[in-house]
Formats: sequence, structure tokens, C-alpha cells
Amino acid sequence: MKNRKGAIPIIILLGSWLLFVASVGWEPDPIALKIPKNWPKPAYDFSKNPLTKQGIELGRRLFYDPILSRDSTVSCSNCHLSFTAFTHVDHALSHGIEDRIGARNSPALMNLAWAKSFMWDGAVNHLDFQALAPIAHPTEMDHSIEKVVQKIKTKPGYQARFFEAFGDSAVTGERLLKALAQFELTLLSANSKYDRMILGQEKFTEQEHNGYQLFQKNCASCHAEPLFTSHEFEKNGLPLDTSLNDFGRMKITKLPSDSLKFKVPTLRNIEFSYPYMHDGRFKKLRDVLNHYTQTTALDRKIELSPNEKVDLVAFLLTLTDREFLFNPDFSFPRD
Amino acid sequence: MKKVIPWLLCLGALLSTQAFVLWQEKNIGLTVHFQPVFQGEKIVLDKALRISEKDSFALHTLRFYLSHFVFLKNGTVVLEEKNSYHLLDVENENSLILTFEEAQNLDFDHIQFNLGIDSLTQISGAMGGDLDPTKGMFWTWQSGYINVKLEGFSAKSPARNHAFQFHLGGYLAPFQSVQTVKLSVPKGRNLQLQMDLAPFFEQVDLAKKHSIMSPGEEAVALSRILANSFSIYEK
Repeated sequence: MKNRKGAIPIIILLGSWLLFVASVGWEPDPIALKIPKNWPKPAYDFSKNPLTKQGIELGRRLFYDPILSRDSTVSCSNCHLSFTAFTHVDHALSHGIEDRIGARNSPALMNLAWAKSFMWDGAVNHLDFQALAPIAHPTEMDHSIEKVVQKIKTKPGYQARFFEAFGDSAVTGERLLKALAQFELTLLSANSKYDRMILGQEKFTEQEHNGYQLFQKNCASCHAEPLFTSHEFEKNGLPLDTSLNDFGRMKITKLPSDSLKFKVPTLRNIEFSYPYMHDGRFKKLRDVLNHYTQTTALDRKIELSPNEKVDLVAFLLTLTDREFLFNPDFSFPRD
Repeated sequence: MKKVIPWLLCLGALLSTQAFVLWQEKNIGLTVHFQPVFQGEKIVLDKALRISEKDSFALHTLRFYLSHFVFLKNGTVVLEEKNSYHLLDVENENSLILTFEEAQNLDFDHIQFNLGIDSLTQISGAMGGDLDPTKGMFWTWQSGYINVKLEGFSAKSPARNHAFQFHLGGYLAPFQSVQTVKLSVPKGRNLQLQMDLAPFFEQVDLAKKHSIMSPGEEAVALSRILANSFSIYEK
């Protein structure tokens, strides 16, 4: 018994030493994003937020957790559903908390490491900061990052996950945003029929091939391969919807020349990301193509016969990536 | 005796950490104290400040970023603070005193800093500390730090509750609101800096302009006025 008493302080010392080692010695498992062959260099600076298994998993949990909204009812996935290319289908304008209707169609999320700006008007300059907008917007989550951080601190399980991801259990705005960004950066779509055709693993049908040529002639200047977006802001000839009065990019730059310019969206997985355009005014790809051939507001006239439109749609369907849409790593986390 | 040894080990560990803390406290470096004033008088939040016989206002919030501190001697940089971002908040007296550990015995004749956050930092993604977006100094609807938050009440303001609200920021050309301040300093002691808001409230007519919440020409103009309000305070 005497010896045991002497052991107590040693245990204390040993315990605190272990804690010390744990706090400075913990390293999460690094993960490298697989950059598809022949793709450009990502825009995201991974050195400032290195991907790790634990960081991605924390981000995924946050993405699917309605705790981000004021009344804990709405999560990111409400408007960005994995099975529909991470967008809100069937709704022209996405709805958030208490069924409040927003002013824009939620964008599909994929290949975000290559994106240079976010939102239809480029209001957000970095993927890390993107989540701040829906969290605070009154028609989306109607909350604030300060309150979200407070709530997450007291929710069981999160502190341990923050420790695993960042080697420290403190929940901060920076870490929360970086974890969300880590998960979003993994949403890579690069295994469509088009990609396999490019790699020589699969062949297009004659119709798809014809559609591809029409695409390259008429669409590729904005929807540039391989990401199917130039990441620029362009006028697409849509007349102003006076019920929304959304002038797009001009709101950010205050330049009249940017009036009615919107970010060029990717066409990948477009089969699943309906409705289309910034305000979701078109339900079918056919409607979109009809707009482009009918509008007189574009600098360059796009001419397509009805048969050519059918071929072009056939090509657009080759951009569907089922591995991406049904990837279990992207769906709701189950314990 | 054997029983005592582990306890002594414990005590030794405790004492050495205490000694380290004491040693650190002693080596505090150069302090720079920023004091927001109005016509030379220390600003107390929610207290009426008189512009003229008939005109007064009260400040409710004054928070601003100072960044990229540089110390110069004969025009040459002698010290550049690393990771130099400071959020100063009149509500929190401690935040108004900045300590530069490396500048303790530094020979310099000018101090330079930015009022606000530079464009490169603005586009570099989420950061921690004073730059953490939970500090309430980051716009959510359009990326960018709010360089200065200046809010209060004035009978002249036609807004609800006679409030005025200036959220000054913006980093995109041509509306970069960050301002560089460079001041000549007396030699060899801790610095007292004043930020006198009198020119601001003389030049901004709250009856006409009571609210700025987004980047633009006006935010840049008002940021310039504020940048000129800094001076070295000499007793």
C-alpha cells in the first residue's frame, strides 16, 4: 500500500506528459486530391488547408448537420443534395428556413478546387468563405457563424472531431469553415462517359459525337473543357426578371458593363441539376437550347436545327458521372 | 525518502514553468497604445460628444483592424511584425494596447501600419485569431473584411432611432479601402497614439449620410479621413 501512494504523483506526471504529447504530437492522416489527367492546376491553395481524412469527415458531418441553421432545421444538403449533383432540383428558386424562398437557383457543387469565385455573381472570393453566406442569409439558414460556433461547442462529439482534424479541440470559425471546405473539395466529378471517351476507354455514339462537335462550335467558348466552365461572368441573353431585379455581377463590381452577367456554370452532371439558369427559369435542357437559338441579345448568333439540338442534348448527357452522384463518401454520414 | 522524490519532481516541474512565465512577462517588449478620442477627449461609448453648441452624437461601437506593422529607421525597415493583424475594439481596453516583443530595444524613427486588411489577405481564405470570421468583422453576403465598424446615434440622422452605421471595407479595384498610416515617432519609449474622430464628424454630415454598408467610393473616402486621424500623442 505504501508503494501505491508514491505512485500517485508519478501517474499524474505521466498522465500530463501523455496529454502534452497528444496535444502537440497528434497528426491527422493526409489525403491528396486526385487531379484528373490533363486537368489544369487547382485554384485552391491546399497548403493553407491541407486535406486530411479527419478534416474531410468533420466537414462532411457539418455539411449534413442542420445545426448550422437558426432553428436547426436546414443543413447545406437541403439545397445541395448529393444524388442531384449537389443542387436543389424541382425548385426554380431554392428555399431555406421556414420555407422562405431565396432569389436564386442553388448551384450544383463539384470540382470546387478549380473554382475562382463562388455564387452566381462571384460575391464570395474563396471556398472557405462560401458557407458564411447561406448561414447568414435570412432566406437560407438565418443564423450567424458566431452562434453556430457556440452551438457546436456544446454538441456532443464535435470537440473530439475538431481535435482529430486540427490537433486541438477548440471550435473556431476558421476551423469550421476549413473543414467544410475540405469536404467540398473532395466532390470531384471526372468519370463521365465524356471523360472515359477522352481517355480512350469508351466510344461516343454517332449522335453523341455529332453533339460534341456542335458543343465545341457553339458552347465551348464559355463552357470550356475539361471543367465545362470558363469560371468567368457572361451575359447569356436572358431578359431581366422584374420580380427579382437581379443584375448579377454588377452588384459586386458596380460596373454597368457587368449588368446581367452571371457566372458560367459547369455543364457536368447537367442531366441531374435541373432546373437551369441563375433563377431556374428553364426546366428542360431543350428550353435552354431554345433560348440560345431564339435570343437576339447575344453578340454571336447560335444556330441549331431541331435535330442538332437533339444531338447536342445527347452529348450533354455524356457528362453525367454516376460514380460522383452515388458516391457513398459524399452522402449522409452514418455511424 | 522514496515517497518524497516523486513529489519533489512535481514541485520542480511546477516551479520551472512558473519561472518561465515570469521570465516571459518581464520581457514584454514595446507597447503601442491606441486611444480613440474626440477633440482630444477620450471616447467613452454611449456618452454624448459635442460637435457644436447644438450638435452632438454618441458612439455605440468602434472597432477597426490595424495590420502590417512596420518599424523604420531613416527610411529603412528595421522590423516587420509577422502575422500582423489586430482587431481594436473600444469596448475592450486591452485590445487598444499592442505589444511588439521584438521591438523592445529597437532604434526606429517611424511606425507604419494599415488601417484595414490588405487585398492579398482578403482573398486568402479563412484565418484565425483576430481574423476569425466569428469576430463580426467579415461580410457574409460578399467576401471581405469590414475594416472599420463605426456605429452610434445622432439627432441629425434621419434613420430609425437616429442611428448611424458606417461599415467601411472593400478590397476590389478601384474601391480598395485599406489605408496606410506612417507616423514619425519620438525616440526610445512606449508609444501613445491618438485616433481623433473630430475631422470625421466635421466632414460627414449625418443628416445626409448616416449609413454605409458596402464597398464603394464613399467607403474609400471615409476610410481616408479616418486614416488621417492618427497622431502621436505627446504629453
